[in-house]
Amino acid sequence: MTKGRFVKKIPIGILYVVLFVASIIWIYPYLWMAMGSVKPAPEIFTRFWPSRFTTEHYSFLLQAADRMNRPFIRALMNSIFVSVTVTVCVVVSSAIIGYALSRITFKGREKLFNFVIFQMLFPGFLFIVPLYVLIRSLRLPDTYAAMILPSIMSAWGVFMFAQSYKSVPIDYIEAAKIDGAGTFWTIFKIMIPLSSSTASIVGLFTFIGIWDNFMWPLIVMRDYNKMPLSVLLASFNMQYGQYVGPILAGSVLQTLPMVLIFLVFRKYFLQGISMSLK
Amino acid sequence: MGMRTLQRRETIKGWSISSVYLAYTAIFWGYPFVWLFILALSRWNFLTPRRFVWFDNFIRMVTDDVFWQVVFNTFNFMLYFIPMVLGIALLFAIALTKIKFFKTFFILAFLVANVSSGVAYSIIFSNLFAINGPLNRLTYNLFGKTIPWFSEPQLALFAIAMMVTWKFIGYYGLILYSGLQVIPRSLYESAELDGATKWVKFRKITLPLLNPSLVMVLILSIVLTFGIFTEPFIITGGGPMRRTLTFQMLIYTTAFQRLDPGYASTLAMATALLTFGCVFLTRKLIEREVSFV
Repeated sequence: MTKGRFVKKIPIGILYVVLFVASIIWIYPYLWMAMGSVKPAPEIFTRFWPSRFTTEHYSFLLQAADRMNRPFIRALMNSIFVSVTVTVCVVVSSAIIGYALSRITFKGREKLFNFVIFQMLFPGFLFIVPLYVLIRSLRLPDTYAAMILPSIMSAWGVFMFAQSYKSVPIDYIEAAKIDGAGTFWTIFKIMIPLSSSTASIVGLFTFIGIWDNFMWPLIVMRDYNKMPLSVLLASFNMQYGQYVGPILAGSVLQTLPMVLIFLVFRKYFLQGISMSLK
Repeated sequence: MGMRTLQRRETIKGWSISSVYLAYTAIFWGYPFVWLFILALSRWNFLTPRRFVWFDNFIRMVTDDVFWQVVFNTFNFMLYFIPMVLGIALLFAIALTKIKFFKTFFILAFLVANVSSGVAYSIIFSNLFAINGPLNRLTYNLFGKTIPWFSEPQLALFAIAMMVTWKFIGYYGLILYSGLQVIPRSLYESAELDGATKWVKFRKITLPLLNPSLVMVLILSIVLTFGIFTEPFIITGGGPMRRTLTFQMLIYTTAFQRLDPGYASTLAMATALLTFGCVFLTRKLIEREVSFV
């Protein structure tokens, strides 16, 4: 640990080499997927660097809508629509409710806050079957609402915002009140900008969670036209497993938004991880 | 404006905002919560009238061979997964403390696996580990052998454990890394003055002071194990010989393929209780008070 001694024992250069090799192994599945999606079909398993690059697998996906009843582009749009809607709803609702639970003084607030923490103890899978019973009795299976409604408010999001607001100095809120600002003005113009990293963390993790959600849409969506990409890709893989190229192209479509968002917001991702320690 | 009116206005404001949350929670959390218990005590197929059967589902569960197979699979999986993920994550964290350059690159390279999509990475790994896949090509060229990763029961379980390890090393490694960073340097320095060896320093300083992060990683990986669904669903379908069947797959197939939501709810409750039990036991056995003085 302490510098001087240890450096002498293990040549630091070897450590770098090991880490570089390990990094390449760790990124390799991504590389293989991306390369496979632009290789001619016979070369996917036989060579890493192809004899020529091709976009045939991607154009196959475009045609799969008519030929195989698997509308990939529509599924991509469905995923974007559902994930963005849920993310916006969760961030906005958590920002408002978190304010009530941290900066408005009223009787019963402590109990409410404890209830929110109590809710977070229960794993999501407990609710899947009864939640389906609810969605079914509301006649919502095979609608976008079935994917969106159960997730638009989050106990975790409320908790995160409430914790973050607690560190905003009371003077800011008092000053806004003296200027005649209403509650919502205070939340949207003062509290959220001051907690922008919390907003990013809640948004980021919600988006990735919904984008990658598999079991729930698998249960409530049977209609190929409304499926998110994750479920459509899995169903295509099960039925047409021999079309490896298009499957890899579909995997790239499913993975790319998550990786891009991760790379853009990596700072908040790291903050989110260190926050989960407290 | 008097103090009283101000207070009343705050109370009204607070409750009117909270009531939106409470109403939503009542519908999408409270209602399913109550139905979970009703279903667990019922026999039903989503269509014909529901019948109250008290604890029949629970009795059925403890005599169900498939349930015990899944319990066995889960602990079998943990036996592979937890030492592997903990060991590599710890090595990664220690390596990060020793380097100066490219730190961000290494962190991102390992962490980007964590944002891979469950469906996509299951598909990718099933191809990478396929009999004609790149991994078997490599082992064939090196040792003249191919490994039937997903068709031999123990290997299939092990292969899924490797995939999940690939996904979570970066995340767990960072948790351990931030745990390592808060250990004061001075402790190591004074230990060195007493002539402590590297191993002694690791056992007497690093391990005990890293305890909170280690417990955190252990709990996360236990909870994760009980939640596995996508990987076996896509790659093995629970086979071969039901050896990769997980709790989540059993709940899913029971409820939505065999149309038995009552028994599925019972299984979900048992899974949650087992998760809590394992987490509780881990904390009891491993968690220690830590002070840095």
